Amino acid sequence: MDPECSQLLPALCAVLADPRQPMADDTCLEKLLDWFKTITEAGSSLLLLQENPCLVELLCHVLKPQDLSSRVLSFSLRLTGVFAAQEDCFQYLQQGELLPRLFGEAGPLGGAAWTAPTVRSGWIQGLRSLAQHPSALHFLADCGAVDTIFSLQGDSSLFVASAAGQLLVHILSLSMRGPAEGPPGLQADDWPACAQKIVGHIEESLRSTAAPQITQALNVLTTTFGHCHDPWTQVLWVQLHPLVAALLEKDPVPAAHSLVDLLLSVARSPGLSSSSCGLWETLAQTLSHLSPTQAGLLALGILKLQDCPQALRAQAFAVLLQPLACVLKATAQGPGPSGLLDSTSADSVTADILLPSKAACVGLLCRTLAHLELLLPLPQRPCPWPQAPLLGAAVTLLQLCGGSGSPASDEGRQLCTLLLGCVRVQRAALDFLGTLSQETGPPELVTQVFAVLLEYLRSPDSSPTVLKKAFQATFRWLLSSPRTPGCSDLDSHALLFLRELLPVLQKRLCSPCWEVRDSGLEFLTQMTRRWGGQAGFRHALLASEVPRLTEQLLRDPESYVRASAVTAMGQLSSQGLCVPPASPEHPGGQQKSLLGELLHILSTDSEGFPRRAVMQVFTQWLRDSHADVVGDTEQFVAGVLQVAGQDLDWEVRAQGLELALVFLEQTLGPPRSHCPYAVTPPVAAPASPLTQALQPLCRVRLFEFAFRALFDCDRPVAQKSCDLLLLLRAKMASSSSLQEPRSSPDVASVEAALQRWRAGDQAQPLGDLEPEVVLAVLRSMDLEGLRGALAESSDHVEKSPQSLLQDMLATVGILGENEADCY
Amino acid sequence: MPEIRVTPLGAGQDVGRSCILVSIAGKNVMLDCGMHMGFNDDRRFPDFSYITRSGRLTDFLDCVIISHFHLDHCGALPYFSEMVGYDGPIYMTHPTQAICPILLEDYRKIAVDKKGEANFFTSQMIKDCMKKVVAVHLHQTVQVDDELEIKAYYAGHVLGAAMFQIKVGSESVVYTGDYNMTPDRHLGAAWIDRCRPNLLITESTYATTIRDSKRCRERDFLKKVHEAVERGGKVLIPVFALGRAQELCILLETFWERMNLKAPIYFSTGLTEKANHYYKLFITWTNQKIRKTFVQRNMFEFKHIKAFDRAFADNPGPMVVFATPGMLHAGQSLQIFRKWAGNEKNMVIMPGYCVQGTVGHKILSGQRKLEMEGRQVLEVKMQVEYMSFSAHADAKGIMQLVGQVEPEGVLLVHGEAKKMEFLKQKIEQELRVSCYMPANGETVTLPTSPSIPVGISLGLLKREMAQGLLPDAKKPRLLHGTLIMKDSNFRLVSSEQALKELGLAEHQLRFTCRVHLHDPRKEQETALRVYSHLKRWAPRSFWLGLGRSGARGGSHCASRQRPQGPLRAAPSRWVRDCGVHPHPGCCPLRGPRHQGAAGVLDLPG
Repeated sequence: MDPECSQLLPALCAVLADPRQPMADDTCLEKLLDWFKTITEAGSSLLLLQENPCLVELLCHVLKPQDLSSRVLSFSLRLTGVFAAQEDCFQYLQQGELLPRLFGEAGPLGGAAWTAPTVRSGWIQGLRSLAQHPSALHFLADCGAVDTIFSLQGDSSLFVASAAGQLLVHILSLSMRGPAEGPPGLQADDWPACAQKIVGHIEESLRSTAAPQITQALNVLTTTFGHCHDPWTQVLWVQLHPLVAALLEKDPVPAAHSLVDLLLSVARSPGLSSSSCGLWETLAQTLSHLSPTQAGLLALGILKLQDCPQALRAQAFAVLLQPLACVLKATAQGPGPSGLLDSTSADSVTADILLPSKAACVGLLCRTLAHLELLLPLPQRPCPWPQAPLLGAAVTLLQLCGGSGSPASDEGRQLCTLLLGCVRVQRAALDFLGTLSQETGPPELVTQVFAVLLEYLRSPDSSPTVLKKAFQATFRWLLSSPRTPGCSDLDSHALLFLRELLPVLQKRLCSPCWEVRDSGLEFLTQMTRRWGGQAGFRHALLASEVPRLTEQLLRDPESYVRASAVTAMGQLSSQGLCVPPASPEHPGGQQKSLLGELLHILSTDSEGFPRRAVMQVFTQWLRDSHADVVGDTEQFVAGVLQVAGQDLDWEVRAQGLELALVFLEQTLGPPRSHCPYAVTPPVAAPASPLTQALQPLCRVRLFEFAFRALFDCDRPVAQKSCDLLLLLRAKMASSSSLQEPRSSPDVASVEAALQRWRAGDQAQPLGDLEPEVVLAVLRSMDLEGLRGALAESSDHVEKSPQSLLQDMLATVGILGENEADCY
Repeated sequence: MPEIRVTPLGAGQDVGRSCILVSIAGKNVMLDCGMHMGFNDDRRFPDFSYITRSGRLTDFLDCVIISHFHLDHCGALPYFSEMVGYDGPIYMTHPTQAICPILLEDYRKIAVDKKGEANFFTSQMIKDCMKKVVAVHLHQTVQVDDELEIKAYYAGHVLGAAMFQIKVGSESVVYTGDYNMTPDRHLGAAWIDRCRPNLLITESTYATTIRDSKRCRERDFLKKVHEAVERGGKVLIPVFALGRAQELCILLETFWERMNLKAPIYFSTGLTEKANHYYKLFITWTNQKIRKTFVQRNMFEFKHIKAFDRAFADNPGPMVVFATPGMLHAGQSLQIFRKWAGNEKNMVIMPGYCVQGTVGHKILSGQRKLEMEGRQVLEVKMQVEYMSFSAHADAKGIMQLVGQVEPEGVLLVHGEAKKMEFLKQKIEQELRVSCYMPANGETVTLPTSPSIPVGISLGLLKREMAQGLLPDAKKPRLLHGTLIMKDSNFRLVSSEQALKELGLAEHQLRFTCRVHLHDPRKEQETALRVYSHLKRWAPRSFWLGLGRSGARGGSHCASRQRPQGPLRAAPSRWVRDCGVHPHPGCCPLRGPRHQGAAGVLDLPG
């Protein structure tokens, strides 16, 4: 602890101990605790307490009967735990009887303060920090803390109850770690008393008829097996397994969700899953006992396991597929197996859940689709993967939701009634359908996929979220459509689809909902980026009204849409796709160039998103040597930097530096590789001396822009500028034309101006800079030091511990004036 | 037992990040999704792991409702939807939908600008999150699904702020968000129907305060600004992008006009245009005065307030500048503050709360020598003023709202524990309504008695009428019939009709047993005596009730040929009466929902 903080600490402790001084800002105590944790992690807690006796005084003081704030009491309990985590400090506090007085019956535990959840939480967290060594275990046993923790598992506060469960796991694990002479034996009877007590409590809870107690026990076990993989956990599982399995005999199975979590936790544990302790049998039983809504998560968990018996995997996959198999069966046009699951015809349970209630049906289908979506990309997914029936099921569901399904059976019609217009299922099915594009499918089914996607994109009933997902799924399917190997072009079917799709996109770009227009533009940008160079795509796009509409959306009232339109137009232009034909209404009218239009947006748009998008487009154009830029690159860069430099949005200014960097690299050559082993091409050093090479940079006023940015009040801009100037200086150093620094009146005046800029007065411009002057100024600047300073957060001084202590002391007595307010 | 459960993950006995989970009739709703600006790590967001434990968020939650655009109510939304993974619907009013992304973006920029902020959302995430929003109109009943409906009411406080009624069947909860029961410069007072919900969840920021007149505070503010400008000083007002800034702009604009002042007023981030746009667009959300004068002169088209350029800060002479961010912790407001702090003629007015760790917090706590980077010390000589312009209901207003809504219970959030305790007692004593104030993580459970509508067959009603008893709303009476539960519908019909509809035959069970009688009388005489005895004490007949509801949704009855399910003989005393209000068509049946029993009920004649 630095001396300044040490000086402030006694006054602060006195304030904390004074019940008349409430803490207004609840974050202060949290931050104070963070600071103490950092100090104790780095050094001795005992020394800290000895050097700062006010801390122990504070802990003693909070024990006096007084109307102390529950927050301060909770803080003190947690702080004590932090200190007592080190054994010598623990002994020190024990000598003063401080620990039993804080954590034992005599402490807050028996008082009125205990009714505050924050005190109970502080008590648990204090013990959690403290329980790090064998002495702590003895203390816990002596003060009867474990019994209190048992009861806190059922606390009315979720936070307290959860923390109590985790503390039990921690104590169990600590006691099994054993003393220095070695861990306890593998026989449960040999386990330490504390561990036996906890295990006994878990057993009792598992035998209980009360679901909350069973849930608590299962949660403790889940955390234990999840975090600890020592051999004793196998013994524990063997001992408790019959009790866990017995839960399956109850109808309904209690705490099903927690049971699933436990079984999966055990199955994931490397030691436990390989032992023959009936785990796989229990998993199989659980799969068959739980209802389809509960079993889905377990089935997914089983299928994610790396090593698992094949029969169990098959059973789990069948459980996962059941709901979709039911959908296919209910909507089948003719008799016969659906292809998804042939043996589920007798499984009426899923059908029973699907059909009677809409809520249950929707919930089960959404969960199933989400589970399968998660499973598909995994390497351990079931093989063979029933791609075709799953595609069929997804399409069928979308048809049922969209109203285009016409099932013949009663069950199918009932399903249709339940799902018609259901946005939740539509969203889930579209996500799933998109993921299914990773695999191919039979052509007729793929045709159906495109048809149903088109149906959704066309439908006036599709909500904006559904449309967004439909666009995403469409793009994924277009990406995966069959193509010639080695060629990324769209095939003829996809092109046919595209011709149908573009009029729909056109319509969506005119939607009254900004969300839809924006999703349409994002979709267009993706497609253009991917297939903009392909003749078929270009032809179809140019034959449509899409480019013209996109250009119109540059003036959309919604800034998000304007920004997306800028990006889309930038992309179209890069691919030569936004050459609008002469307007028939104004045949002689001057078409404003896109560059001019974008510059206009950059200088006049009132919102940041479109201006930022313009800067990104310009940077890309410069990088790609876009036709509009190549004509007069210097004029382009100069113009853009001038406008960007005045922008109020720091992200636009930062983007301006990105553009400046590209220009700099193009002018001087790319940066050298830092890897010593990399095969580096000869440095693209300018043929002419460096000063000559810097001329274009000076002409576009890049340095004025960069120096101004260097002292920007927004830190990322300053940092980016610093990086750019450092890069330039590195180039200077590598240049053979490096000359000795030269002082001149020009250099002095620029340095003086920069000093004023640094002080915040940036009114005066630097004027025309000569390369020599720039080089001299760059040499004289402490850019490395500046970079170090800029790497810190702008409020690091205000966030320092000393500042925290000062703030806490400063607020004393003024709370009445500025009472807790909000935003 | 049906119940409503409420668990605050934030705003339980604090004024931090509002986030309240409500479970009502099997539906789960999250009310607000706020962030705490006092932390720069994960603690800034509510701990959503308590929800994700229940499975996938989108499966667990039916919807999220955002009451207004302040960050302590919506700041965690992009994190929740784009990083934690909630993919369901988010409801808010149209103005909130428009303004929310601006504030989120503003805060994101500040967070990135400051640096040192970890795990923060991006601009794209904000946009993607806003695309999931379903905007609602005031008083529009929005059907989230077949059972859950929500309705927004005007809350004052800030533009677009709303209270929400959440209703499932006959059970309902009202969440106020932040509200103001008195009108201010540009907004009206909160208003809501007398909707008698099961529970009213209300904010309680000023639970123990009767606030002074806002006019006084405004006068004070104007006086201070005027004095500073008159003496040639510069006035800095740090603000967040939208909200309070607009209210202060209206104040100054009107004052400047009236006093014919010439000192320039600047707004630093080009937000005036944006604010104008939204306030014009949502003019119907402002108060009556603004709406009335809108035609002649739009309050939000400021004559005196101009866009600020960084170079203006060094201009000589007086000026007033609104600059972001509001807590002086980064960016332009901090830069201007550093420039102006050394001159005693200047003034900074902090119109809102500042968290610890900001320069705003320091100067509000009276610190005048601030350490800056590089061990430099900035001496603050300028005048520092704090003026709370937050528009919350005071104790009187909260009591007024509770009286207006007439809830069965009240739950206090968004306030300090001690103040809540006081208000809780006041509500319980004066209004005779149960009041709760859970801490974060604590669950309040309220049992409810849902009203389940039951249709009554015309035949049954006619039969009752035939007995000469006319319906009388004031005199509820018992009506006997057979309750059929089918496809989530409940109908009360005559037993004959039930049998006919379900295609079932009537069962008669005859119980026989062999009894050895030791009676010295003659056999005929003994038989007669036994018959008389049985005739007197045993019921004439009784129906059979079946145990569980039909798994396929149909009602099942015992059939003579093929009995289904466990058969139980039901003595007459087990048979249930259905208390029915004599309204034709349907009637509420008070009792637990989704009860397992189904079958034919009858009374002995």
